[in-house]
Amino acid sequence: MVKEECKALLDALSKVAACYRHMVLTIGGTSDSQNLREELKKTRQKAQELAVANRNKLTAVLKDKTVSKEDKAEFERLWVIFSTCMEILEIDMRRALELGQEFPLNVPKKHLIQTGMSGGTSGVAARAMSVQNMKYEAEHNIDVVDLKDLENEINQVGEMMYEMEMKVNVPQWTVEAKQDPGAELKSTISVGASSIGMISVEENKSFCDISKVLAGIIFSAVLIIAIVLAVCVVKLS
Amino acid sequence: MTVKRVDQGQHYRPRMAFLKKIEALLMEMQNPDTGIKTHTQRVMITNIPHAITGSDVLQWIVQHLKIVEEEALNLGNLMVKYGYIYPLQEPKNLILKTDSSLYRFQTPYFWPTQQWAADDTDYAIYLAKKNIKRKGILEEYEKEHYNLLNKKINYKWDFVIMQAKEQYRTGKERKKADRYALDCQEKAYWLVHRTPPGMQDILDYGLDRVTDPNENKKKTIDVYRREIMYYQQVIMKSTVKSSVSLGGLVKYSEQFLSNDPIMSGCLPSNPWITDDSEFWELNAKLVEIPTRMRVERWAFNFNELMRDPKGRQNFQLFLKKEFSGENLGFWEACEDLKYGDQSKVKEKAEEIYKLFLAPGARRWINIDGTTMGITVKGLKHPHRYVLDAAQTHIYMLMKKDSYGRYLKSPIYKEMLAKAIVPQETVKKSSGFPFARRHLRCSPSPVILRQQEEEAKAKEAATNVDITQLCQFTAPVPHLAVYTGTSVPSPPSTPRPSCHIPNSPPSQSPGHITLPNSTVCPSPISVALDSTPCLERKWEASGSNSNHFPSITESTEISTDSESGTCNSQVPGNVEAKVPPKSRTTSSFSRFLKRGCLTSPVFATLSPKCPAVTHGKVQPLDDLEQQLQQKSKKVTNFFQIKVDIPLESRIYPIDSEEEEEDCPRACKDSAKEVICPWENFTEQGKTG
Repeated sequence: MVKEECKALLDALSKVAACYRHMVLTIGGTSDSQNLREELKKTRQKAQELAVANRNKLTAVLKDKTVSKEDKAEFERLWVIFSTCMEILEIDMRRALELGQEFPLNVPKKHLIQTGMSGGTSGVAARAMSVQNMKYEAEHNIDVVDLKDLENEINQVGEMMYEMEMKVNVPQWTVEAKQDPGAELKSTISVGASSIGMISVEENKSFCDISKVLAGIIFSAVLIIAIVLAVCVVKLS
Repeated sequence: MTVKRVDQGQHYRPRMAFLKKIEALLMEMQNPDTGIKTHTQRVMITNIPHAITGSDVLQWIVQHLKIVEEEALNLGNLMVKYGYIYPLQEPKNLILKTDSSLYRFQTPYFWPTQQWAADDTDYAIYLAKKNIKRKGILEEYEKEHYNLLNKKINYKWDFVIMQAKEQYRTGKERKKADRYALDCQEKAYWLVHRTPPGMQDILDYGLDRVTDPNENKKKTIDVYRREIMYYQQVIMKSTVKSSVSLGGLVKYSEQFLSNDPIMSGCLPSNPWITDDSEFWELNAKLVEIPTRMRVERWAFNFNELMRDPKGRQNFQLFLKKEFSGENLGFWEACEDLKYGDQSKVKEKAEEIYKLFLAPGARRWINIDGTTMGITVKGLKHPHRYVLDAAQTHIYMLMKKDSYGRYLKSPIYKEMLAKAIVPQETVKKSSGFPFARRHLRCSPSPVILRQQEEEAKAKEAATNVDITQLCQFTAPVPHLAVYTGTSVPSPPSTPRPSCHIPNSPPSQSPGHITLPNSTVCPSPISVALDSTPCLERKWEASGSNSNHFPSITESTEISTDSESGTCNSQVPGNVEAKVPPKSRTTSSFSRFLKRGCLTSPVFATLSPKCPAVTHGKVQPLDDLEQQLQQKSKKVTNFFQIKVDIPLESRIYPIDSEEEEEDCPRACKDSAKEVICPWENFTEQGKTG
C-alpha cells in the first residue's frame, strides 16, 4: 500500500520534472513568452508540493523500524530516485534563473534567439499540471517578478535537500537498479508517430523487407508450379 | 543524494570568459534589422524556420566586427565548434562552411556554461531516450558510453529510465516541427559535449582548478594579508627586460644561422633527401677530422665547445699541455654522475672525490675553500647533484681562464686547419627505380657505448695530471713523484692510482662504502698515511697501518694533500716487504699522523717538486727522528693552496679503531695509492 503510494508520488514528480525540463529548454528561444514564464512558475510550484509530499512519506517509511528488509531496500531505492530527481530539478531551476535573467521579455533591445521553435508549450504545462487546459492569469512582467520568487525557491530546495541528506542516511551506491540496461526498449511507447519520416540519414533498413520479398517469390513459384501441374493433369485427362 | 565534497583538491572548472563574449555576439545576430537573415528549412513536409546560411554568418561577422575574412572564418568556426550554431545538413561536421549550407542557433539552455558541466545523468537520459526513439540503434561510441554509464551510475539507473520515458512522452505534447527542432538541438548539444571519437573536444580545459572562479570571497584581513604577500613576492621576482632577452635571441639566431641545416642547408647533403648518410658520418661524435663548421662553432662560446665531444677531446689535449686537464676530467665525471644510473651514484661520487677532490688526490682540482666545504659536506649523503657547486666553479674557471687561451692556441688552430669542408654531393638520379640500394648499417649503439667506455677507461688509466708537482723540475725517474705521465717509467708498471674507473668491477665490491662505514677508512686516511715519510716506513716494514683514521683529528688538511702526493711514488726500485702488522707500527703511524698534522697550512699555489729523494728506504728506527725533520720538509714539497677551514670535515669517517681492522693497504710494490678496501681482495689472493 505504502509502496504503491510512494511510487505514484514519485512518478508524478518525475513527470513534472520532465515537463519542467522541456519548458526550461524553451527559455530564450523564439517560443518564449510570458505564458511560458507563467507555466514555469506554476510547474515549479507543483513540483515543490510533490517534492514535499514525497519527502514526508519516504522519510516516514524509512524511519519506521518495523519495515522488513526487502521493503527497506525497496524504499531506499525509491529514496535514491527521489533525491536524483530533486537534484535535476534544482539544476533546472538554477538554469531557469540564469536564463530568465539573461532574457527578459519586455526589453526591446534584447532579442530572443531564433531557435526554430514556433509552437507553444501549453500542452506540456497542461500535462504537468494534470489539467486539460492551461489558464494564464499572470501580469505582464511576470518574467521579472518571478525571478525573485525563483531565487527563494531555489534556496528552499537547497535547504530541503541538505536536510534530507542529514536526516536520512541512505548510501546511494548500495542501491541496485531494478531495470537492466536497455529496459526502455521494452516499453510500450509507440514510436511511429514521432519521427517525421527519416529524421536521420543513418537509419538502417530492416531486413524484414528482404525476407518478405523472398517469401513472396517462393510463394509465387509454388503457385506457378501448382498451376502448371493442374494444366498438365487437365491436358492429359 | 550526492554528498557535497569537502574541498581539498581541484574540483572547479576554470573561468571561461570567452563564453560570455560569444554570447554577446550571438545576441547581436538576432537583431531583426541588423542581424542575420533567416530562411526556412524544409524537411519532408514540414517547414522549420530560422535557418541561416554559412556565408551569411561569415559576411555578417566581417561587417559587424570589421575584420578580415580569415579572422571572421576562424571566429565562425569557433562558434560552431562550441555549439552556439549547429549545422543542419552535416551535423557531425562542426565547421562553418561559407557556402549555402544551413545552420541554426542553439537554444540558450544548451549553450556551454562554465558553472554546469554536461552531466552524466543527463547524458544517460539522452541515450535512453535515443534508444527508445531509434529502437536500440545507437552508434558504437554511444553504446559504449551507455554501458559505461550503466555501471557508473547504476544506482540512478531506474531514475534514468523513468525520466527518459517521461521526457519522451512529454515531447509528444509539442508540435511536430518543434519536436524535430528539439531533436536536432539535443543531438547538436551532445555532439559538442560528448564528442565522438575522432572529433576534437573543444571544451577540454585540462585539469580542474583549485579555486572556484564563481566564489565571492569575503575580503577578510587574512585575504588581504595573503594578497600583500603575493604582490610583494611578485615585485621581488627578478625579471629580464624584453629588450634584453629579445636582443639575445636575435644575436643567437644571427650567429647560428649558418649552422642550422634547415635554414642554411647542410654539406654534403641532407641525408633525408639524397639518401646519402655521409653527413652523419662526417659529423660523428668522435670523428677523426671534424668539419669546418663544427670547429668554427666551438669558437662561438664555451658552451658550444663543451657540448661537442670532439671539442672536449681537443680541449682536453690543450689542457693537458697546460697541466689543467683534471678540470675537464672532473667536469666530465660530474656529468656522468648527474646523468648516470641512480644505483651507482654513491659509488661514483666517492670515486670522484677520491680522484679529484681529496687532499692529495691524484688529479686534484683547484677549488676554493667554501665550495670544497660545501661539497664535502654534501658527500656525506651523496646524490646526483652533490657536486654541482664544484662543477660550476670548475666550469667557470675553464670558461674564463682556459677557454680564451685555447682559442688562440696552436692546438685549436691546427684543428681548424685540418678541418674539412665537404663537397656538396650531386643528387644521384635514381635511374632504375627498383635498384637495390646499398644500405649500410651504422654500428649498434650498444657496441658504440662499450667502445666509448673502453676508451674512457684507457684514457683515465693513462691520465695522471701533473697538477702539483714537477711542473718545473725535471722528473726523477726512480722517484716518479706523484706523476705517472711525466716520468718515462715503463708503461707496464701499474700507475699510481687510487683505482678509479680502471679497476675492474670485481675488485671493487667493497668500494661501495658509505662514508661512515667503519670497515674501510676514507681515502683521506689513506692519503694521510701515505706521507713520504711513512711510505718509507712502509717500504721497510710494509706495514699496512696506514690508517690514520684521522679525519676526526685532522685539522690540517694541507698535510693530507701533501701526503697524497706521495702516493704515487713509483719506486720501481723499492720493494716493499710485507711486514707483519705490529703494534709499533700502528702507534707509530698515529704518532706520524700527529706529527704530520702539526705542520702548517700552506697557501702557496705553485707546485714545487720536491727534489728530495724520498725513494730511499730508511730504516725504521731512524724514522722517528727523521719524521720531525722530514715532516717539515715534506710539507714544503707540496704547496698546494688549501684554505679549508679547520673545522671542515673532509670525509666524515672513522675512528682510530679502524686501523686494526683495516686490511693492509700497502701493496707489495707500494706503487699505487691504495684504497684499503681495494687491497682486501688482493691480499686475500696473496694470502
